[in-house]
This record gives sequence, structure tokens and C-alpha cells, in this order.
Amino acid sequence: MDIEKYIEDIKIKFPKIIDVEIVNTKRLMIHIPKNSLLEIAEYVFKELGYRYIIVTAMDSKEGFEIIYHFSDDSSGWIVNLNVMLQRDKPEIESLTPVVYGTEWIEREIMDLLGIKFLNHPKPERFLFAEDWPEGKYPLRRDYKEEKN
Amino acid sequence: MGKRTLVPLGPYHPLLEEPEFFKLYCDGEIVKEVIWETGYNHRGIEKLCQSKTFEQVFYVVERICGICSTSHPFAYANAVESIPDVEIPERAKYIRTIVGELERIHSHLLWVGLAGHFLGYNTVFMWAWKYREPVLDMFEIITGNRNNYAMFTIGGVRRDISPEQATQLLKVLDDVEVKTTMLVGAVMDDPVIHARLKGVGVLTAKDIHDFGAVGPTARASGVDIDVRRDDPYAAYDMVDWKVITASGGDVFAKAEVRLLEMYESISIIKQCLEALKKTEAGDIKVKVKEIPPGIGIGHAEAPRGEVFHFVKSDGGNSPIRHKIRAPSYTNIPTFRRSCVGGTISDATIATAAVDPCYCCTERMSHVFDYTTGKHIMSAAELIKLSQEKTKNLKTKLKV
Repeated sequence: MDIEKYIEDIKIKFPKIIDVEIVNTKRLMIHIPKNSLLEIAEYVFKELGYRYIIVTAMDSKEGFEIIYHFSDDSSGWIVNLNVMLQRDKPEIESLTPVVYGTEWIEREIMDLLGIKFLNHPKPERFLFAEDWPEGKYPLRRDYKEEKN
Repeated sequence: MGKRTLVPLGPYHPLLEEPEFFKLYCDGEIVKEVIWETGYNHRGIEKLCQSKTFEQVFYVVERICGICSTSHPFAYANAVESIPDVEIPERAKYIRTIVGELERIHSHLLWVGLAGHFLGYNTVFMWAWKYREPVLDMFEIITGNRNNYAMFTIGGVRRDISPEQATQLLKVLDDVEVKTTMLVGAVMDDPVIHARLKGVGVLTAKDIHDFGAVGPTARASGVDIDVRRDDPYAAYDMVDWKVITASGGDVFAKAEVRLLEMYESISIIKQCLEALKKTEAGDIKVKVKEIPPGIGIGHAEAPRGEVFHFVKSDGGNSPIRHKIRAPSYTNIPTFRRSCVGGTISDATIATAAVDPCYCCTERMSHVFDYTTGKHIMSAAELIKLSQEKTKNLKTKLKV
């Protein structure tokens, strides 16, 4: 795929895109604002027909970073949509209505990082037992392990 | 809505990864809805990796699964080596490929055996597992272990393959090839298996795309994807092989894809062994001093589909974030489409068909009436139900 042209085209189609960078060989990172996630993901998943891989969430210095990984299997490129969330308001629209496969991973992120996915069809606990205390999120930087 | 019976699949088998709990809501014999629960054995490996050095992570990730204990290090190596953009020696590429493909052979043989057992073909089960043994022995000879091979390291592999080992391996491969042909015959030419598996647990190409399913599960539905070809790593672009696909989307197609893939794996290993002769013995590793700050995204084709690793480094000794996705994570939710509308006796094999890194059926405990709580049948009886269906078909087809 002609990556220069691809970047140019997607920037024109979605002017809200903050930045596009090539992180490695065949790895593209598109930084987008959180309110345009659904339309860009829908374009990538449905119109371009990319395969959904997984969602990575992490607690980075700037805030909570969520990366949606999609694969273009015809060219081998992995296209990543990167959304940065503010630490004081970790909320984002759920992608499950568009990409059915994200149902599990969004619930997992809710458990591990305490990020809220709005309009998720089943916002219940996924990994943790019922007696896991509320408000304790193991993948957050301020999480302290309790020694038994 | 009439009275529904709950058939629980699961939840626990402490020896295997990803224990899950599937609740099949049934009306009579027909499965109407599948609900899953998981988290019974969450080990926190992603968090654990953040406390290990880049080198140590290899030995953590290969313990994610005993069957896929090369696929995870493979994907992790692809991810972490892409940060400083390391080019590993050619010999290491071939050795990595050999170990990866041997794993595919033993994993597919394991699946064929289990599938045979659930259908009531215990001879296939005994054969497949018997012929899997020499492959595991070969692993021990090459890597020192039947499982958890510890072959990979940053910048290459830890052990070389000697010419003597290569000769032994070739002999084992020749044997496996003959036995594979026998298994292919036992499955593909059997009218009962055709009648039992065709049209069961069908997944369309749209289902595959919706869930992001990968590997033989996707290829059996005509979705032509394979990381080894689409984004080549190790020696996959240096050998000649083809991606196996089928069009049915049913359990039969999945069996077909797996069986034929074994031939490709054998051919890949033979080509790699030939190529090893042309490279210098001992040149298996380059030294990587440090992992600079950056992001590494790597994937590898495991026997069950794509394994995906995301590594973020801040220039220190350990990854600051390590995300892992095993293929079953996207393959298992497809049960929602493959089981619904089928019978309970088909649910057994439809769930086993994605090869969910354990056999779900193993975890069936009891069937009880959802409204009265009365015990109806046990796991062993459920497998019996599946085997009886095959038996009835045999009588009907007069074989």
C-alpha cells in the first residue's frame, strides 16, 4: 500500500485526526479525538474491511491511552487508532455496537483500569470475582499490591 | 418463551488456560442462547511481565499455554525486536520457523485426536496421540524439553540444530507424513464423518469478520488470512508453501484445513532443514544491548490463529505495558453463532471445532433442569450423547 497517499487521504477524509505517525515497519498509529472514534472505527472496520485485532489500554503519563488495533490483511499493515482520555474523566463511547468483537475486551478494561465504556450492551464484571473491592484497578499506576 | 433448560459447559480445569463457563440455554434439544463467563483463572500475566526484564518475559509468555509455547515467544520476539529494528541471523530465522511448525504439527494432531474422541472414533484418538509422541520426543532432542522449549531470546535463538538432529528430525517427519495421510483418509473418506460434521456449527465469512476470528476457524470459512504470508516474519518468506482454505465454514471444513496444514508444515520444515546446511553453524544470535523507548507490535500465526503482542518500552529494563491477545480470545465468542440453532449433541463438537486451547467438553459438569434444579445428566453422558448420534448415523448408512 502507498502509505504516503493513504495518510494524506485519511487526513482529508477526517480533518479531526490529530496526528498520524509510522511507528515501525508496517505499523501505523493514528491519533484521534475521543468523540470521532465511532465514525473513524466504522470507516476502518466496515468500509475498508480491516480485521479487528484487539484493544490495548494503558495508564500513561498524559492520561489513559486506548489503542484500537486493526489489521489490513491484504498488505500486512497494522493500523492503530489511539485515543487519549483525561485522567479525571476516564470515559469513552463503547465500540461494541460497531465492532461486535470488542465486547469482552471493553469489559476487561473496565475491570483492570476502571475506564467506563458508555452504551456498552453488558457492562458487567468480566475477570474479577464478585468479592473484588470496588475502585481497585491493578493496571493503574497508583495501584499497590496487598501482601497477604 | 417456553421452558428452557440450562446446560453448563465449564467452568474449571486448573491445568488449562482460559477456563470459561458457557451456559447453553436449550429448548428441548435445540440450543437457543449461549452466555459466557470467564475470569476463573486470571493469572495477571500482563501485569507480571511489567515486573520482568525484556529477556525474562520470554519465559513468562511461553507458559501462557503449554501447547502454544512457541507462538507467544514468537509474537513477543517480533514485537520487541521491532523496537530497535534488529535483524536476526538467517540461521536463527530458520530454526525459529522449524520450532514453530513442529508446534503446529503436534497441536493439530492433538486436536484431531480429541475431535475423534468426541465423535466416538476412539481409534482416531489413539492413532493421532500415538503419532504425536515422536514429535514431542523430537522437541526434547532439539530444545531439551517436550514443552516450554525456551528456544527464543532477543536477537535469535538459544540452541543450534546439529546435522545429526536434522537427520533424526527428517526421519520423524517422513513417518508423520505417512501417518497424516492415514488420518486424512480416515476422516475425509468416511461417509459417517461427512454426515456427522457437514453443516454443523457453520460460521459465515461475515461472522468471522464480526468477531475478528482467526486461524483455521477463519480459513475454514473461506477467509484467506494467515499472518505467516500476510506479514511475513522469520523464514516464512524464504520458503515455498501455501495457505490452506476451505469454503464450508462447518466443523468438517475446520478439520480439513487442519489436516492439510500439517502437510504444509512438514514441507516448510524440510525446506528449512535444507537451508540450514547453507548457513554457518553457531551463527544463531546477535547481541542486542538495549531496547530504546518506543512501541513494538508483533504477531505470529499460532496453530489456532494469530497471537498478538503489544510492547511499550520507556528505555528501561522492562516493558511498561505488555498486551497479549491469544487467538481463542476472539475465536471463542463465535460459539454464539455456531452453537445457536443446533442440537446439544452438536454443540459438543461445534465448540471443540475452534480448538479452544482446551477442550470445552472436558469442563462440562452436569445438566440440570433450570426451573426445578433437578439433575439430568453428567458430562460423560453428554459425550455419550454425541457418540450415540454418530452410532445412529452409522446404522442408518449401514457401515
